[in-house]
Amino acid sequence: MRQQASIAAKVFIQRDYTNGTLCQFQTKFPSELETRMDKQQFEETVRTLNNLYAEAEKLGSQSFFEGCLACLTAYTVFLCMETHYEKVLKKIAKYIQEQNDKIYAPRGLLLTDPIERGLRVIEITIFEDRSFSR
Amino acid sequence: MPAGGSDSLKPSAFIPVCTAVCLLVGSTSMFFVFTCPWLALTLCPAVPPCCAMLFFFVLANFTMATFMDAGVLPVAGEDEDKDDEFRAPLYKNVEVKGVQVRMKWCASCHFYRPPRCSHCSICDHCVEDFDHHCPWVNNCIGRRNYRYFFLFLLSLTVHMIGVFTFGLLYVLHHMEDLWKLHCLVTLVVISISGLFLIPVLGLTGFHLYLVSRGRTTNEQVTGKFQGGVNPFTRGCCNNLEYLVCSPISPNYTARSRKKTAVHVRPPFLRPELDRQMAAKVRDNGIQSVALQNKQSPTGAVELSDIKQLRTPPPLPPKPDRSLLRSQVAVMDDVGHHTKSVIPVSIPTVPQLRPVLEAISRGSSPIPPEQLLRTSDQQGGAKGPDSFSESKGSPVRGSHQACLSVQPSLQPCTVSSSSLQLNSLPLNSRSLTLKHSGRHGSKCQLLAMHTDGLGSNPVAGIISTSGLLASQCSSSVGPSYDNLINPGDPQFLAQRGAPSLGYHPHFMSLGSDGAVQRPVPHSYSPVFMGVTRQSPQPRDSSPSLQGLPSRDPSPSYQGFIQRDSSPAFQGLIPRDLQTQSVTSRDVPPPGAVKRETVPQGLQDSLRDLMPQDMTLPKSAAARYDNFSKTIMASIYERRELEERERMLHVQARAQALYGPDVGIYDIPSRRSLPPDNIRPPGSRGPTPPAYGSREFLMSTGILGYGMRTSPLSSSSTSSLTRGPKTSSSPLQSSSSSSLHSKGRSSSPAYGPPERQTQGHSSSTSTLPRLPSNTYPTPPYTSYPTAKRSSLPFSSEGKESVTLGTLK
Repeated sequence: MRQQASIAAKVFIQRDYTNGTLCQFQTKFPSELETRMDKQQFEETVRTLNNLYAEAEKLGSQSFFEGCLACLTAYTVFLCMETHYEKVLKKIAKYIQEQNDKIYAPRGLLLTDPIERGLRVIEITIFEDRSFSR
Repeated sequence: MPAGGSDSLKPSAFIPVCTAVCLLVGSTSMFFVFTCPWLALTLCPAVPPCCAMLFFFVLANFTMATFMDAGVLPVAGEDEDKDDEFRAPLYKNVEVKGVQVRMKWCASCHFYRPPRCSHCSICDHCVEDFDHHCPWVNNCIGRRNYRYFFLFLLSLTVHMIGVFTFGLLYVLHHMEDLWKLHCLVTLVVISISGLFLIPVLGLTGFHLYLVSRGRTTNEQVTGKFQGGVNPFTRGCCNNLEYLVCSPISPNYTARSRKKTAVHVRPPFLRPELDRQMAAKVRDNGIQSVALQNKQSPTGAVELSDIKQLRTPPPLPPKPDRSLLRSQVAVMDDVGHHTKSVIPVSIPTVPQLRPVLEAISRGSSPIPPEQLLRTSDQQGGAKGPDSFSESKGSPVRGSHQACLSVQPSLQPCTVSSSSLQLNSLPLNSRSLTLKHSGRHGSKCQLLAMHTDGLGSNPVAGIISTSGLLASQCSSSVGPSYDNLINPGDPQFLAQRGAPSLGYHPHFMSLGSDGAVQRPVPHSYSPVFMGVTRQSPQPRDSSPSLQGLPSRDPSPSYQGFIQRDSSPAFQGLIPRDLQTQSVTSRDVPPPGAVKRETVPQGLQDSLRDLMPQDMTLPKSAAARYDNFSKTIMASIYERRELEERERMLHVQARAQALYGPDVGIYDIPSRRSLPPDNIRPPGSRGPTPPAYGSREFLMSTGILGYGMRTSPLSSSSTSSLTRGPKTSSSPLQSSSSSSLHSKGRSSSPAYGPPERQTQGHSSSTSTLPRLPSNTYPTPPYTSYPTAKRSSLPFSSEGKESVTLGTLK
């Protein structure tokens, strides 16, 4: 098996706080990725992630009923059921995995799920391109 | 109870919780046993079940408030804060719904705290939407559990009111049997509930007020939005709705990491290759042909723009930066100490030489053989001629520079994208350094990282030029962006620098070391002759034999003693302040060897020194966020301008004072002695690697770092973050020695800046590292130098800071 490429750099996409504490990430294209991928693709990824997080944090009927049910069962429902946010987080993880497999890994990049960083940054690992430098 | 935090696990921390639990459970139990039967019989049989349900709800909320994670943010990884140690400001401003909000750097958790986040000192972690640390539940109240805490308060208030009321009813109906057991117990219960009802009611009312105003306890107590607008409020009704209905945010710390392996292996796709692929892997979950079609033309446009801009690059060649960076990288990897021989042709350098030697000893420069080899590889073609010619040469030159100086890295093909790729090996080197030692490598990594950004081709200018324009024109808003893209402002500095700057100088020196420069003003003489020839003692260096004695230059003195420019007040970020500090400390050893120069010369030269600084004061605030690379470039420009003036002065002085003054012989030979003087095996002088101590010191030596005012009139973003909290206790000693306001490092060095007595003076400015860990002279403990690979400095570096408050 060929050895995994070594990490060259890491780019951190910071949160965008212009709309308060809602979880949104900046769509600004970092300069380190200019040589690696298209700006459009990157922005599309971040925008989709932002939309997913907005959906997770949406104040809707689902979250209200979930809260009521939790109250009524003295919050024991959390032991067996997943919250709405957690469900969307799974969706986000699946999306990031798919993006990595299809778009980022072929370009020597790797997206890290921001939940692992406390939803503060999206970490993009840039791998060293040895084959190109040869 | 939270899992971490030393204070919260102390036995004394459990006393309030236990008391609360005992009182609550005990009193209610007694109420149910002694009072409720009568109530069920007399009032209504539904009373006890309702009370029971309410009590059950109280307990549930109490348990959730006690045991639920409040929204603890995990500590940032080492690689995340690589550029946030010494150089970045303490505060970062961010605009939230039009209101400027300050994000403070958390020294414990190593990230800028998001808005509304605060660090709990009891639990020792940062909590999102931090409200307060409640001793009665021995837990932080934050984003995730505020709802339960609030509901607990509400339900407890109602419960206590209920217990008090029903108990009072019972007592009033049993006045004749007051001393009976049931009555006594009920009396006790109602007295307890009545006593604690008042503070609980008060607290509930307080939190009701906070919720309606959309504030946290922390914000209320610190008075954050007293006079201003609270950007986090949604209006009273929406705030209540958010409190009750918002989804519960996830737990960040206790997550099961089910990672599926993603295999990342070269060869990697490139944007140019992507567009040639017809309808390939472009779906971002959105199957859109139109999107793909849109992507290719815009991408093509971008590429053409890039190429257009690359052909006549308006900036001085960045490759030199790569060269220097790579030098630094290789040097640090090797971890050797080499003596630096400085065959100089400029008066200021002799004074620097012993200092630079010592500093380079403290640093980890490339072994001289390696440098000689790498520098020789570049060849003479990359001498000053290539750089004084068209601007197209830097592309190739940089590439070749990277080739030569990175023998361990893959050679880059000469292509338009080679320059882009060069940054990656450099960044890989930066990461290598990072991984080798977290401490102290941050500054270097910052330089390397940002320089990696800067070494991205002129293409970067396209995207960043607009940013730069906006950044320079606006005040605080883009500062956040500056921090995010530290490489961007480099272009501005580079654009402003004179055509050749110092880069061609490095290239030329690196190539053969003795380049006859036709354009004397086009390089920084400070860097000339700064070498790292370890095996060659200075005296025996043949390159020096042909040179006259190195007298201290009055111009150097003039540089040292020049008044700080008002433009630089408040302008210098911490790294440059550190530069200036060490530059102050650098001359002392050299001063010992300084020969006396006619005072008149010094005076005349000082008079002729330029006093005006053209840097606009309005830009000062922006520079707080610029990396040291930019400032170095700006300083370079200043140096060059002053060198020109100095040359005029010296020429005039030579006419006045005759040819006997040795120092004036030197400037006329603006180049190092020719190659034939040096033996074949000797290494040519190597300019200080970018980011190295010498480099920083040499730029700072010209007196730019002096600031008379402690803080700029601009924001507190000039305050430094200083080292991590895990740093050694030297910080405290240094903080005592350094007068500092907040975290500013510049005022600390105001008084000692002019000291030239010797090492003792330097200790007053820089904390002296313990001799057992750091045998080299104190000025080698240059805090911003990136010496991650130095084995003994890993610990000392952390402690050495210039603004050493946490």
